[in-house]
Amino acid sequence: MQVKIRHHGIDYCAEAQIIKNLLWVHHNGKTFSVEAQVQGRKSRKAGVVATSDKIIAPMPGRITKILVVPDEKIEKGQAVLVMEAMKMEYTLKAEIAGKIATIHGQVGEQVVLGKILAHIEATKS
Amino acid sequence: MKKFKRIAIANRGEVAVRIIRACEEMGIETVLLHSEVDIKSRAYRLATKTICIGPAETAKSYLNIQANIEGALAGGAEAVHPGFGFLSENAEFAEACENAGLVFIGPSAKTIRLLGDKVHCKELAKRAGLPLIPGYEGEAQDLSSLVAEVEAIGLPVIVKAAAGGGGRGMKLIRDLKEARNLIESAQREALSAFGSPKVFLEKYLERAKHIEFQIFGDSTGQVKHFYDRECSVQRRHQKIIEEATSPSLTEELRRRMGEAAIAIAQLGNYRGAGTVEFLLQDGDFYLLEVNTRLQVEHPVTELVMGVDLVKAQILTAQGEYVFRSQQVRIPQGHSIECRIYAENPYLGGVPSTGLLGKVFWPEGPGRRYEFGFEEGDEITPFYDPMIAKVIVWDETRQRTIQKMIRVLKDSLVFGVHTNIPYLIEILGHPQFVNGTMTTRFIETNFAEPIIAPILSEIDKEIIKKAIQQSHGARLASGRSSEATSPWQTYWRGV
Repeated sequence: MQVKIRHHGIDYCAEAQIIKNLLWVHHNGKTFSVEAQVQGRKSRKAGVVATSDKIIAPMPGRITKILVVPDEKIEKGQAVLVMEAMKMEYTLKAEIAGKIATIHGQVGEQVVLGKILAHIEATKS
Repeated sequence: MKKFKRIAIANRGEVAVRIIRACEEMGIETVLLHSEVDIKSRAYRLATKTICIGPAETAKSYLNIQANIEGALAGGAEAVHPGFGFLSENAEFAEACENAGLVFIGPSAKTIRLLGDKVHCKELAKRAGLPLIPGYEGEAQDLSSLVAEVEAIGLPVIVKAAAGGGGRGMKLIRDLKEARNLIESAQREALSAFGSPKVFLEKYLERAKHIEFQIFGDSTGQVKHFYDRECSVQRRHQKIIEEATSPSLTEELRRRMGEAAIAIAQLGNYRGAGTVEFLLQDGDFYLLEVNTRLQVEHPVTELVMGVDLVKAQILTAQGEYVFRSQQVRIPQGHSIECRIYAENPYLGGVPSTGLLGKVFWPEGPGRRYEFGFEEGDEITPFYDPMIAKVIVWDETRQRTIQKMIRVLKDSLVFGVHTNIPYLIEILGHPQFVNGTMTTRFIETNFAEPIIAPILSEIDKEIIKKAIQQSHGARLASGRSSEATSPWQTYWRGV
């Protein structure tokens, strides 16, 4: 849909579209999207997951390699597992130093975006 | 001389559309050989006939030689165009086509074996006296031998898939401690992308430019080149922006490199379209590889040379493409191509999949759009994330850059994120503008995800108005998803 507004006496025109729960806008050479929801549905809380002690799938894809075992001590920045999506490999690294508490998933498994793949128990400092 | 009535296309996405368009103009029917998930695509809608050859998984569909041959025969095709990627550089496929009575649109299986396999190609080039990068191309593929070779060549070293291309199965080793993991990873990617885990090693040139020559062998066996392209703007060895001709070559270098390109193509009895890739550093050039197929970036050559490489390929396969002596082949003006990837540039390029919303490409002189998907189509996670190519032409390089920036700003893709904002930043970078970028340009200047723009008051009012106009909807958080996305923090760990 075309969206026309007047701001401080100047007219602006943008293109917009709602797809699923995102509103997409193209205006002045930029495209951006904001979360928008059909009324009545419960709003999903954004940004509630603290990621530092977890390894989370950043995209839908397949686990191709798990480089650690439970209870293994790991360093910050150490590679924990490898995923493949769109024919490219992505190495997921630990954000904190600690010990692998649990691993959720196995090699070859197709995982969804946002799935927690491993928990890390932080080293007490 | 045999005119084809129907050609099978063993590919998908924008290149399938490119081939269909060429066939339509030549009065040839098409059979699209597609996977189960690729029915929501332009190629599927445009082809004369469609045949499903297997499930989404590439090994069972686009890389399955038997399924492609059976599909082409069932569809009544006389020839097969493999596009690029998938089976396009697979000698067994070329052979299987010929055995089944289908014409493979490309060089012969023998040429593909000779030039397409990077290891064989290097042996040939060595004998022909072409400059090569120091490396290891041996048969020993076990980890300890390969790691020892990495040490012998000296860091940094790049590990590559022997049967590959397009950045898959390529890893850069900077630290000997990482060598084992990176080699293993390259072998896995090579196996999954090309069906062979074989890799080779090469010394990594730190400030090289990627220059390639478009070569072509006509039906009579003459080989010529259609000048050069520069593709130094690469991320993880995947090209992002390409241009013709290169801003980095002197006339003398261009002549010498062109001669070297023709020399190796002639050694392989080249027929049809191909590309000879070089690295250029400090005035010295080294042969990188020969791609025995049409290249993703072929449109920039078409625009500056006034040729149609896909039609030339088809005519060559029909036995009727002959270079004319009066053909004057001097590049005119400048052309740039940007690859549009479905990925989130604010999250370091993580793939973005889903239902495509409105798509708009702004028409105008010297603008060309190659795209495989439209509104209502689905971008799936199974394949390469390139959804479109934007190609522009203008008289000078500076004006071509300006045109490209404007065109990208006016292009619109809803539903999935694209790398368009990232491309705009690259095009405006001083090193790109003055043409001095090397293959390390991206890793040096664009290693971090680009910063999401802050919404202006005007943007916020537009959002408010858009929500009002769409009645039932309301904002979940009122903030830009780029700024608040829960996935942003996830990307940090990658």
